[in-house]
Amino acid sequence: MPVPAGLLYSKDHEWVKIEGEVATVGITDYAQASLGDIVYVELPRMGATLAQFGNIGVVESVKAVSDLFNPIGGEVVEVNKELEADPALLNRDPFASGWMYKVKLADAGEEANLLAPDKYEALIAEA
Amino acid sequence: MIDSDETIRRTALWEAHRALGARMVPFGGFEMPVQYGEGILKEHDAVRHAAGLFDLSHMAQFELRGPGVGAWADTLTVNNVATIKPGVARYNIFCNEAGGAHDDVIFYRLDEERWLLVVNAANAAKMWAHLEAHPGPGVTLTNRHGERALIAIQGPRSVEILRTFVDADIAAMKYYTCLETRVRGRDAIVARTGYTGEDGFEVFLDSDDATDLWDALLASGPQPPAPCGLGARDVLRLEAGMPLYGHEMTETLGPIQAQLGWAVKFAKPAFIGKDALAAQVAAGDFSRIVGLVLDGKVPARAGYPVLVDGQVAGEVRSGSLAPALGKNIATALVPAAAASAGTRIGVEIRGTVHPATVVALPFYKRST
Repeated sequence: MPVPAGLLYSKDHEWVKIEGEVATVGITDYAQASLGDIVYVELPRMGATLAQFGNIGVVESVKAVSDLFNPIGGEVVEVNKELEADPALLNRDPFASGWMYKVKLADAGEEANLLAPDKYEALIAEA
Repeated sequence: MIDSDETIRRTALWEAHRALGARMVPFGGFEMPVQYGEGILKEHDAVRHAAGLFDLSHMAQFELRGPGVGAWADTLTVNNVATIKPGVARYNIFCNEAGGAHDDVIFYRLDEERWLLVVNAANAAKMWAHLEAHPGPGVTLTNRHGERALIAIQGPRSVEILRTFVDADIAAMKYYTCLETRVRGRDAIVARTGYTGEDGFEVFLDSDDATDLWDALLASGPQPPAPCGLGARDVLRLEAGMPLYGHEMTETLGPIQAQLGWAVKFAKPAFIGKDALAAQVAAGDFSRIVGLVLDGKVPARAGYPVLVDGQVAGEVRSGSLAPALGKNIATALVPAAAASAGTRIGVEIRGTVHPATVVALPFYKRST
């Protein structure tokens, strides 16, 4: 299971890429593989203020509905519109074109609550 | 239902599923594959366009024997049993006195006095107790649940794949017939039945012979059947408009409400639930199962409220993306007044009402 370097990870299997004041958020390869074929994703709205680890939407596979949790707090400044037409992007390319949304960071300190790649790799190895 | 202290059982094919990378889930008291590595959509596609292979050994097989089976079973079920000819299979429903359903089943008549009854895994213990509580003259029952295996091959290529392994000419079999033959040299029952809306066969055999047949089918030819899990099976049966016990039928939701009136033979002199079902038909105002096609991309799921004229009036009973249609489909229990095809209703999904249209079942019908 790929766990790219340069990203931070949540225990709920989201990844975060921080560039300056903005963080890009997606789900991990482990998450997409566990979910199976993704047929629908409900993302937060532009301008919404999200708390760290808050429940912010759902991702649905053919058979199951799973909650999405926001890994880092902030205001939504961009949403990946491609996912509306092609939610299977989350399966095919979870770390790149399957990104979900971007937030303007509320509190830089929240990074400390996320996992470095080696820690996340250990987490999914136990699962 | 599974008691919490009951051990989860394994079918004879458990090792084979693990080796194929299946994701296993508890279902009907057994640890069963819900999907394999390729995923539900690919498995669904294989069954609709080529062939898929299913382990259904969790389903309960009861052997019925004796001259009295037909007459006895006719008093316990809604459909005709005694009139089934040897070599023929028939769908049926066991009801309670109130007209709710104990289970939906298939009777396979092997010869004059030997029958196979296949019941849902989750209802196996309940159904066995029900049969034992209603002994019949000239009827002997044997519970083979967990002792016998069941492998299904489903999809348009099923005949050409399976026939090379079977002594009998299965290509000549009609839909809903069965025969006793040898499969890879071992005694087996082959039936042209299934739960996917495609052509296909179900092979009942000794658990000891299951792995040999499973492996041989998966190694057959350049395009072997795809192993398919319970996830794909549920999507396939929903597209085909087939009921799933616990969803479209329950102890309080019987065959008339489930739109299975064709299977209820009121001409039979007496059977459990007959009076209640007849009263339901006479009154006519019962809520019933309908098909729904949603306008939008959000899937409807079992338990979501259904709104008629803005008021909660029913409930989604099953729901999924239908890959064969490219749309979200569902079954729902709705009032009689909202059950006509074309009726516009709403499904409440996480606080938002999503429009849908009532449609006739099935959602999908194969072209041949």
